[in-house]
Formats: sequence, C-alpha cells, structure tokens
Amino acid sequence: MSEQYPALLVVVPLLSALVVSVAGWVNKRLCFPIAVAALGVTAWSCVGLLLRVLDEGVIVYKLGGWTPPMGIAYYIDYLNSLVLPVVSIVALLNLIANKKGIEQQFPDKTGPFYTLYLLMVTGLLGIVVTGDAFNLYVLLEIAALTGYGLLAMGEERAPLATLNYLYMGTIGACFYLLGVGYLYIVTGSLNMVDIAGLLPPLYQSKAVLAAFIICMVGVWLKMAFFPLHAWLPNAYTYANSAASSLIAPLVTKVMVYVMIRLILTVFTPEFVFTTLAVSDAVVWLAVIAIVMGAVLALAERNLKKMLTYIVVAEVGYMVGGAWLGNRDGMTGAILHIVNDALMTLCVFMVVGNIVYKVKGYAFEDLQGLFRKMPFTMAALVIGAMSIIGVPPTCGFFSKWYLIVGAISAGHYGFMAALIFSSIVSVVLFFRVFEICYYEPFADHHGHDNHSGGMDEAPVSMVVPLLIVAVILIVVGLYTGDIVNHVIQFAIPEAMV
Amino acid sequence: MKIIGLIITVTTGALLFYAAGDFPAWSDPASPASTYLSPHFIEKTMEETSVPNIVTAVLADYRGFDTMFETAVIFSAGVVCFFLLRISRREDEEPETRYYRHVLTGVTIQLKEGHEIPPSADFERIDSMWTPPDLIIKTGCRLLIPFVQLFALYVIAHGHHSPGGGFQGGVILGASVILFAISHDLRTAVRRMSEKLIGILCAAGVLIYAGTGALCLLLKLNFLDYSALAGVLHVDPITARSHGILIVEIGVGIAVLATMIWIYNNISSAGRYRQGL
Repeated sequence: MSEQYPALLVVVPLLSALVVSVAGWVNKRLCFPIAVAALGVTAWSCVGLLLRVLDEGVIVYKLGGWTPPMGIAYYIDYLNSLVLPVVSIVALLNLIANKKGIEQQFPDKTGPFYTLYLLMVTGLLGIVVTGDAFNLYVLLEIAALTGYGLLAMGEERAPLATLNYLYMGTIGACFYLLGVGYLYIVTGSLNMVDIAGLLPPLYQSKAVLAAFIICMVGVWLKMAFFPLHAWLPNAYTYANSAASSLIAPLVTKVMVYVMIRLILTVFTPEFVFTTLAVSDAVVWLAVIAIVMGAVLALAERNLKKMLTYIVVAEVGYMVGGAWLGNRDGMTGAILHIVNDALMTLCVFMVVGNIVYKVKGYAFEDLQGLFRKMPFTMAALVIGAMSIIGVPPTCGFFSKWYLIVGAISAGHYGFMAALIFSSIVSVVLFFRVFEICYYEPFADHHGHDNHSGGMDEAPVSMVVPLLIVAVILIVVGLYTGDIVNHVIQFAIPEAMV
Repeated sequence: MKIIGLIITVTTGALLFYAAGDFPAWSDPASPASTYLSPHFIEKTMEETSVPNIVTAVLADYRGFDTMFETAVIFSAGVVCFFLLRISRREDEEPETRYYRHVLTGVTIQLKEGHEIPPSADFERIDSMWTPPDLIIKTGCRLLIPFVQLFALYVIAHGHHSPGGGFQGGVILGASVILFAISHDLRTAVRRMSEKLIGILCAAGVLIYAGTGALCLLLKLNFLDYSALAGVLHVDPITARSHGILIVEIGVGIAVLATMIWIYNNISSAGRYRQGL
C-alpha cells in the first residue's frame, strides 16, 4: 500500500468528508470517530511518505496513470514531504482537542462542521502535495471556500469579517490563476517541473515577469503579508475556536510553502534572485511586516487578536527569510513553516481552552488563570517561549537560521527586525502572564464555588494541547536532524 | 483612499497590457499552447480513451483529478450554505400567527396564539407573505419540467460525443426542480425532495466520483486510472476509460443537481425552509 500513500493522503480525507456528511443525516455520533480515524490514516500516510522520501528520494505519482505533462502528477520531494506530516498532525490534534467545543457551539451542525473541516484539510494537503500548477489552484479553492464557511461561524462580527476575507482571498486566488494562465500561454504546460524546464529561454520575457509578479502578489494576499494583511486579524479573532486554531496555524504557512515552491521549483532561484533584482525590496517589505505586526500586537488588549498580529509578523519572518536568497535564510524559512505551524497551533489551542471555560479572551477575562487552569497556562508558557525564541523550544532554531541568513546576506535591517520582534514578543507575553498570574481572580458572583479552586478544561482538550507543547520542545531538540536530513536536500544546490 | 485604489488598478492594468506584448499572436498555430500538448490530445485521445469528444476526455480523464476536486468545490459550497444559513427548528422561533389554506376551496384561515392544525391533506400551511397560486404559471411549469429533465439526462449521457456532461446536465436538472419550487412553493418542493435526501445525494454524487477513483486504487492501479475497471466491466482497458468517464459524469450530475437545489432552498428561505420565494 505504501506506493499509494501520495493518493491516500488526499483521497482519505475527501472520502471521509463525504461519508461524514452522510453520517450527519443518519447518526450524528458517528461523525467524530470517522473524522478522527480518517485524519489518523492521513497522518500515517504523510509520515510514511516522509520516511519513503528519506529512503528513496523524490517520488512521482501519476494520477489516472497518465504520464506528465499530459496528466496530473504529484511530486513528493524533501520540501513537501516535510510539510505534509505537519499539516496532517496539526489537523488531527486540533480536531481531537476541539470535540467538546464543537459540540457545545454547534449541537445541530456537527455533521457539516466535520465535513468542512475534513475538506479543508484535503485542500491544504492537496496544495502541498501537488506538482501541477493548476491542480494547486483547484485545491486552493477548496481550502478557501471551506475556510470561509468555518470562519464565518462565530461571534456576531464573524460573518462580516469573513466576507472581507472572502473578497481579499478571492482576489488572491484569481491573481494566482491569472499568473498560471500567463505561464500556460508562454510555455503550454501546467506541470511545475515541466514549466521550470521550459522557462530558461524565456527568462527575459515580459509575460513571464508579469506571471511571476501576479502569482507572488496573489500568494502574498492569501498569506496576509503586510500590507495585504488587513483581512486576517478580524477574520481569525471572531471565528469559533476550532476553526481559528485549524486555520491560523495552517493556511498562512501553506501559502508560504506555495511561495517557496514557486521560487524554488517553478521559477527557479536563478530567475528569482539573479535575473530579477527585487529581493532586497521584498526583504525590506518583510522588515516592515515584522515591525508593524509586532507594534500592532502591542496595541491589542485582547489575547486572540494579539496572537493574530503575531501571525502577521511571523509571515514577515518567512517571506523575508525566503527572499534573502541564500541557503541559511531559505533553511530558516522552511524550518519556520514547521515551527510556526506548531507554535501557532499551541497558542490558539490555549485560547480555545480559555474560551471554553471562561467564555472570553479579552485581557480582563484572563485574571487568575494560572491558578484556575495550570496545564493550559503551562502550554501557553511553552508556546510563548517558542514564539519569543527561547532555546530549547523550536522557535529559537528557525530564528537562529534566519538571523544567520540575514548576516550572510548583509541585510542587517532584517536582523534588527527579528531581534526587535523577539523583544516585543517578550513584552507581549509577559504582560499576559502577569495578568494571568498576579492579579486575583475577579469574583463578581459572591461565593462562587470555583473561586480560588482549579477549574481546568476537560482532559480531552488538555491532553492534545500538552502533546503539542511537548512537540514544540522535541522538534527544537531534533532541529539538527531535520535540517541535515530533510531541508538541506529541499534547497537546490545552486543556492549558496 | 479612492486615489490609491485608482493607482493600484491602473498599475495592475498597465502590467497586464505590458505583459500581453510578449504573447503569441492571436490564434497563432505555432504558439506554445497549440504545439506543446494539444497535438497529443488531438491525435491520441481516440486511441487512448475511445472518447470522440476531446474536451470531455481531457476534463474527465487526463485531468480527471482536477474535475473531481471541482465537484468537491461545488459540494463544499452546498455544505457551507447549509452550515451558515440553516436555522434548526430548535433555534427558530415559531410565529405567533399561523396561516393555513384549505386546498379545495382556497379559503385562507388565520390562527392566533400558537394554535395549529395537524398536518392533513385538506389544509396546507402558508406564510403571511404568501401570494395566491397562478394556475397558468403552475400548469405551464408542470408541462415544461419533464422535458427539461429529459434534456438534462441527454446532456449528461451524451457528454462523450457532443458538448455537455455532468456539470451542464446537473445544472439543468437542478434548474428544473428550482423551477418547480418557484412556480409552486418551497414547502411543496421540499415535500417532494426532502432536505435529508438532497444532503445525502449531494455527498453521494461526489462519492461516486471519488469512489470510482478509489476502486481503481483497490484494483492495484493508480487513483482514477479507469483502465483498472476493465475487469469489473468486462471490456478492454481503453473502453473501460470511456465507461469510467460516463460513471464519473453521472456522479458529477447528481452532485451538481443536489447542490443547486440545496443552495436554492437555504438562500431563498434564509435557512427557515418556509415559503421560499
């Protein structure tokens, strides 16, 4: 069966989404077990695929048995085989952790919720695994459409915030599609590897330049790269916890992956960094993104919204790292896709637990939480350490590579921005810790039975969260192996 | 703000025009798009898939994987509409005043303070916004609908030879049911085709498509490689491809049909499933 892993990892969530949808009409209680089992099989296939790639190198899977470029092919190389397990494991852990929250919020609509959740995961995995530029767009549509549906269910302001996201996201996807169309006009192919082979004689073509610009802007819009980030904070903040803790870690990171894929495979680093002389300008944009993300986060008095601005700043890290144009920067960017997905998941799951228990995430609601929810807060501390970049959590190591990359590229502005944002993160999180730790639990209800006592979220929510927190440290400790055995081969040797 | 918008639009437009300068000439037979893959499809489609319509073969076989996900996109749209709009009976506050119509005489009755008539063949529940039925429209639509549906089935079945296929046929089928719902009312339409049936059909359509692909996988070939079905269908692998396309087109048709109706039902009644438009 292992030769079918590439197909299984998208087909299993897709088929299970359909089965869950039917089960939702027949017996609601079946939905959750089916969804968990499907994501379990998916995660298994992703990990199996990573091991196979480590063993055999690049794997090509021909869908429908057609040889590319006639048909669609999946290329699983070191880059996407690293991202696939992250996406599937994040989705699985988040689903298990949010069972209670989902049942609490949508008692009548668990079926459609799990259906959309699984379809979203299908879309994200499909984007990562595909080797076909148009197939990527189709999966992007699925991930986006289901994402809008999931995010729009939440607080009163969620539908409007999501409508805004829908407009921006649609423009982003259209830009990407238009860029692919331009590439098709000048090369006649949609297969990424094939396009890369046909492009070199066309490097001076204006159409290829325009295709690259349009694709990049579209992808930047989708990943909320400053100044195209305006849709993100509200859309993620007002959504329900299960959706925001799936979408916040994964969507922006998967779009960063798409950007890196376009740079490394489709347009090749030679074209992007040598023929075009814009990398410096993009890194400066990333510097602004990081600084603005950090400053805007500082202005928030609300935990979830503060975290969404941190997501905006983190996107700046990855875009900047990738556009430094050297090996260390690119290593840092790819490593940060993995690390940031995990640490964003960790902090958003913490918010999910707090919302489940306290019904709020404004700073005033957080008072006394260390006493009330010690395990959840322990996870928040580890997640925060990782975002700040304290060893041995994984956030430190990707930041380290990014800073090394900035120094070897001679881009000290980017280095300063990284350090600035780390310092701001320290301020941000210690302010939260202070509120959670020192101020007494505001007790408005007189003799409430849980004043002073422990009132932790259910075990089913805390255990996955603690697993994520442990993963943050484990990934940090194994950074060397990830870089030496996987990422090193993901970057073309031409890049120094 | 308006000025910034104008500048961005003009810049983008200028970029697109600038790039168009390097495009191959209009309908240039030597352009990369016409010389790279198209000759293969034009020359080989018949012998590789035994489908005379090249567009259908590319859509449902060479790039069938994309089409499967396009169907999944449509399915997601239906689920999203249901998820966001449907108001469950528990949350929906019933109106104080209810209206019923006596079917035979057309007399309308108003009941106050939450009284209701048990469901029967004599009375049907209507809403306050209700407009009296128009005999001409109702009869006209009843006459039209069977022919619309017949044509839809033709479009689905004939996708191999002429323009058409699952998407187009499914839309026509869905439109026929929506026409019924508009000319009568949503309650009547939902009685004929319940919400549960539509929800299940919607998933079943995509399931036929993805399931066919998975079946190929179980028969030891790659996903969606229809030639694996040769043994099951008792034909040669090339004809199996042609039959495989027909199977998935039927799946697409069912999914599109059900999704169209599902979206219409939810949007037209704002998720309440009462009178509709």
